[in-house]
Amino acid sequence: MNKAIFKSKSAPLIYLLPTIIILLLFLYYPLIQSFIISFYRSNLFLGTRKFIGLENFVNLFTGPLAPAYKQAFIQSMVFSFLVVSLGLSLGLFLAWNANKDIKGRRVYQILLLWPFALSPAVAGTIFLFLFNPEVGAINQILTSLFNIKPRWLDNPVLAVSVVISATVWKNLGYNVVFYLAALQNIPGSLIEAAELDGAGTLDKFRKIVFPLLGPTTFFLIFTNITYSFFDSFGLIDILTAGGPMGPYPLDKTGITTTLVYKLYQDGFGGSSNIGYAASQGVLLILLVAGITIFQFRTTGKKIFYGGAS
Amino acid sequence: MKKITLVILIMLTAFNVFSSGNKEEVQKNAKPVEISFWYAFSDTPRSGWIQDRISEFNKANPDFKVIGENKGSYRETLQAAVLGARQGDAPHIVQVFEVGSQIAYDSGIFKPVGSIGSFDTTDYIQPVLNYYTINNKVNSIPFNSSSPILYINQDKMVQAGFDADYAPETFDEVLNVLEKAKNAGVEGSNLSFNLHGWFYEQWMAEQGAPLVNNGNGRTDRATEVLLTSDASKKIFNWIKILNDNELYTYTGKLEDWSGSDAIFQEGKAMLHITSTADLGNITSAVEGKFTLKTGRLPIPDSVERNGVVIGGASVWITKDHPENELMAARDFVLYMTNTDNMISWHKLTGYYPVRNSSVDKLKENKWFIKYPNQVIAFTQLLETKPNSATGGALMGTFMDTRTIVEKAIQRVLNGGNVNKVLEEAKILADAKLHEYNANLQ
Repeated sequence: MNKAIFKSKSAPLIYLLPTIIILLLFLYYPLIQSFIISFYRSNLFLGTRKFIGLENFVNLFTGPLAPAYKQAFIQSMVFSFLVVSLGLSLGLFLAWNANKDIKGRRVYQILLLWPFALSPAVAGTIFLFLFNPEVGAINQILTSLFNIKPRWLDNPVLAVSVVISATVWKNLGYNVVFYLAALQNIPGSLIEAAELDGAGTLDKFRKIVFPLLGPTTFFLIFTNITYSFFDSFGLIDILTAGGPMGPYPLDKTGITTTLVYKLYQDGFGGSSNIGYAASQGVLLILLVAGITIFQFRTTGKKIFYGGAS
Repeated sequence: MKKITLVILIMLTAFNVFSSGNKEEVQKNAKPVEISFWYAFSDTPRSGWIQDRISEFNKANPDFKVIGENKGSYRETLQAAVLGARQGDAPHIVQVFEVGSQIAYDSGIFKPVGSIGSFDTTDYIQPVLNYYTINNKVNSIPFNSSSPILYINQDKMVQAGFDADYAPETFDEVLNVLEKAKNAGVEGSNLSFNLHGWFYEQWMAEQGAPLVNNGNGRTDRATEVLLTSDASKKIFNWIKILNDNELYTYTGKLEDWSGSDAIFQEGKAMLHITSTADLGNITSAVEGKFTLKTGRLPIPDSVERNGVVIGGASVWITKDHPENELMAARDFVLYMTNTDNMISWHKLTGYYPVRNSSVDKLKENKWFIKYPNQVIAFTQLLETKPNSATGGALMGTFMDTRTIVEKAIQRVLNGGNVNKVLEEAKILADAKLHEYNANLQ
């Protein structure tokens, strides 16, 4: 490593200062506050703060409020898993095809990136218009073709499907961009050599392309987990607002209520029980941190970064 | 390093220039005292109406300058006001929705308007004023008040073989109308109210049933939500029957006002229940499509009509301002809700004019003869019996309870057992209420 890039010692610090200030103000300070508030009974409207130790945490796991949290926890995990796995495989599939030497390839590539440029609010509204059971475009078509009118947003199974589709679709462009770039970086000579050795398409993909995409996939798993946990909020809020209530035993809270949405409902919806929401925030941070560390420890070690380091 | 110092110096100077510029501006505007008003309407007709009243008031009172601002939804507005007050930056006037009454009261940032000088409140319609009287003091001034009524697609009614003027008044009559329409092959033989706890609260009040204990939370702080009462079960059972017979439709989303309105306006529903405040919008939306008729809110059978709870919002004034600003804020609110302004507000939106004098004047001008659909709303409000059920429930967790009720209805629509669903809903609502009350002990 080349060390002497900056002549003065304070220069890098000054360059970093804006970032550090922003992180301190909007990330570290709220984080510490959340940890503190999670031990208090605190209401946003009343401005009250009473130390109650671990009661908020206890209420997450036992008592009348617990079933809803447990359900949101399970749903969040399943939701995240589906969004990440579907998003990545679909992204790779599309990138693989868009990378082929076909006519109008640039146009396809641009079209594929499009959804990513939309804000969650716009993407959510588009889906909402499409899937309105009475006046939405999808049901207009289905009615005229098959005379059926599925209840997209209040049938639990369909609602989950719509929300997952929207969430995957919204982030697809992002995944495609990274995979496209990675695919273009794979040296043609490797593929050629494999072809000379008589490797079929599947073998080429499995033994050469996929391992070389390792670092990208590893990175995308991360960003997609974060995305599915946190950025899905806007879509859920607009499409279903966490609902509808699921069938037994998933009838303790809305079936599209993820952990973040639950936190929002408890802390900023209703009578705003901030302490209870903060305790959920703390658990959420620990959870995501845990998944990340686990990722690094297991898959991270197996990733092939190329070179001889 | 020198360059960096230079950059910092330039930035500091620039900052100085800006901040001194700000100071001058403040001094220039220092003459009229600013009164801020935060409200929750973002649509052009209603916010425009408020802005017009503000400029009229400012012109007539050069010593004061009312500044009106939309702060998002009702709860966002209340949240912003509370947080503002904590930081010593409270708006003077805040529009607060009816379910936020207890929590706004408990927040302690407001001053009962009844204790700011003395003024006459006898002109306000009694059931409306009752809702906003807390601990025997007029707490806030009613502004936009409404109640739900039945909207009827008259064309479908005739198609189903009913008299054009017929309006079902009870739960059974509604079922009967829809069943007959369905058998007659009328398209959209549905009822299409949006899934909102507000309607449930209305049906409780119509039966004279309190929603919470301790005199509906008015004699003492509520500690229990009465979701498992017979009155409550009656409502749930009716919704279950409607749904089981495929006579109910909504968009699948909770509190989706415009979605359900769209269903009715597109002719996909024969009957619709929504606020009187939507009468203006719906009337113009269905013009040329079908004939619209209105009726009183259908209520459970064999129950004497007890009346509706007033819905909507009132205007609150925050404390910790100099006396002259409080008076000015109050005067603005009284101006905004004076006889003539309430008439134009009503004509624009369909909200009740909350003053008796406004109603009298509308009658004099034959408004109700020209627009007979508007009469229903008034009959319904004026025949409301003043008691604790129609006075409206007070509880700190009203917003939570509303959501809990909505989710419970949704569970029933998904095939849940009414008694079991209500029992679980009650446990949850009570737990939240206890948690809230514990803040104040």
